[in-house]
Amino acid sequence: MKRSALVLAAVLALAAAPARAWRPFGEPSDGKIRPVQQLNDEGKHQEVLAALTPEYIQTLRGTDLRQAYVLLGDNHLALGRLSEALGDYQIGVSLFPKNVDLLTRLATLLHQNGLDEQAKPLFQTALKYEPRHWGAHLGLAEIDHRFGFLDRAADHYEIALEVDVLSKRADVWRDYAEVLLALHETATAELALRKAVDLDPKNADAHVLLSFSRRATGDLAGAIEQLDEALALGAGDGVRRAKALDLLEAGRMAEAGAEASALLASSPDDAAALWVRARVLLAKGDAAGARKALAAVRTPEAGDPFAEQAAKALMAASEKSK
Amino acid sequence: MTRRALLLLLALAAATAAAAAPDLSATALLRDHLWREVRLAAPGRRPKVGLVLSAGSLRATAHVGVIKVLDNAGFPIDVVAGTSMGSVIGSLYAGGLTVDQLWSIASQVKVNSGNDLSGRRLISLVLFDSLLSSEKTEQQVRGWLHGLRFDQMKKPFACVSMDVYTGEAIIFRDGDVASAVRASMNLPGIFQPLEYRHRYLVDGGVVDYIPVDAARLLGAQWTIASVTENDYTAVRPKSVLDSLEQVIDIRGSYLSREQRKQTNYLIEPPVGDIGMFEDHRIPEAMEKGVVAAAKRLDGAEESLILASIPLLAADWAPATTAGRGR
Repeated sequence: MKRSALVLAAVLALAAAPARAWRPFGEPSDGKIRPVQQLNDEGKHQEVLAALTPEYIQTLRGTDLRQAYVLLGDNHLALGRLSEALGDYQIGVSLFPKNVDLLTRLATLLHQNGLDEQAKPLFQTALKYEPRHWGAHLGLAEIDHRFGFLDRAADHYEIALEVDVLSKRADVWRDYAEVLLALHETATAELALRKAVDLDPKNADAHVLLSFSRRATGDLAGAIEQLDEALALGAGDGVRRAKALDLLEAGRMAEAGAEASALLASSPDDAAALWVRARVLLAKGDAAGARKALAAVRTPEAGDPFAEQAAKALMAASEKSK
Repeated sequence: MTRRALLLLLALAAATAAAAAPDLSATALLRDHLWREVRLAAPGRRPKVGLVLSAGSLRATAHVGVIKVLDNAGFPIDVVAGTSMGSVIGSLYAGGLTVDQLWSIASQVKVNSGNDLSGRRLISLVLFDSLLSSEKTEQQVRGWLHGLRFDQMKKPFACVSMDVYTGEAIIFRDGDVASAVRASMNLPGIFQPLEYRHRYLVDGGVVDYIPVDAARLLGAQWTIASVTENDYTAVRPKSVLDSLEQVIDIRGSYLSREQRKQTNYLIEPPVGDIGMFEDHRIPEAMEKGVVAAAKRLDGAEESLILASIPLLAADWAPATTAGRGR
């Protein structure tokens, strides 16, 4: 009696369990996908797509079926067919909602296209099943950075950067450093930026970020040195602009004026350079000259009006103090 | 994962790099430069900044997210004013609690945690027509602030209540903080009006939903307001409390139309659909506060910079430049 009750309980428990409980050795696979996988590994994208017809996909099951959607998405993507890839991954995720490969692919594609609110929960779901998935951590780091969750972004970057493939990418170290700078963690940011410089010595961006870090600690001379290093690597007008403003902030008026003049020689409408020129002239007591420079600040078509508004505010203040 | 698949995922991830190149446009650099001038400005060289936190029951926990972003950005906040739940959060912030402490306290808030809104108490409210006491709110605020008085706060603080005898908005800025905060969030119709300083006080959200005037009274010359209004067009009240809150919110919304114009900058986390009893949605409200504030941060900085330029310009003329040792 006792034994039959146990058997009945076991049968009931199995009946109530999800379907996967009946497959203790994993999902079924007939290995039908292998030839298509081979084509994919050889980079034959068109052949992969030609092989994965709806009729053929209907014959697949388990891991074969799951892999078919991964391959469809990957190969559509490789051919630049974004919306079709998106559809493939979406169907894949709806059929296999716990599959980390499909979840992270769909999430990354959505994130890449600015659909971060849709991407975020998919990355989070992927982390439920694979807590240290670097792709999901990287995606969440970027999304959290954009959304303003700086501490969470830093946490995700730290986990993602533990993985070998990412720890060799200078751009990820720079992104991580930007988050740290926003959190005012300048010492750690400098370490991350040094790593980025080591990995990609010819990239000027890390030097620019190092200059931001130095400036945040009050070391304006050090910041300007870093900008000079970026310029030596061939950085363009943006870095000259930053240097002119840092020179102004450091009170090195003559150098700031010279840097602004050099910039204005190539871009006469540069708002930052005009501002620096105006401030240098104001400091010399040439208010009329300053107002002339400020009057030249214009908002580019469909651009941000802030620089022009700031120029007008300073012009008005200068007029008042006449 | 095959090598090719790994490479594809890497390529995808690389294509999405968030901000690998710093923004070196003229506008971004100029804003950044002027923002440092504003942050480092000597007293009197920028307007006094007031943070205004609206009423909004549990929705107003979104203010914590807004404060988190402003705090991270080093946004200068000189004075704080709040109404109802905005007064609770504002008092803790002005009292010197860190953003992490605020986040932790707000995360643990339950509908019942400040007040006894148990079924038994609500039945007694209906059957015996006897209003509940909001004393627990006062005790909690007193505990968090260690009994601080207004003059002991880290930043000047004010909160708003309403006198039910006269209909006046009463702005508190001296005396015991916890009692004033209790009066500010003393929901009429549920809690007994609080007898304090010869007044009979209820929730300030009825008369001063966005207390810009309270911040101005503290000397604020430029205000940034976090507003967490109810989207009452999307909600069908299902209970006595819901209906009451809806009426207060509609009244508050009418009032706030004018107050919105008085503030210099608005941040509005989209939390209008969060109901009075939905304490499980507090983390969502705080997150929405972060996202809304992060989106509006550049604009807030620009607005304060433009308001500061006339004052800063005095330092940019020759005489004072020498005085600053540049």
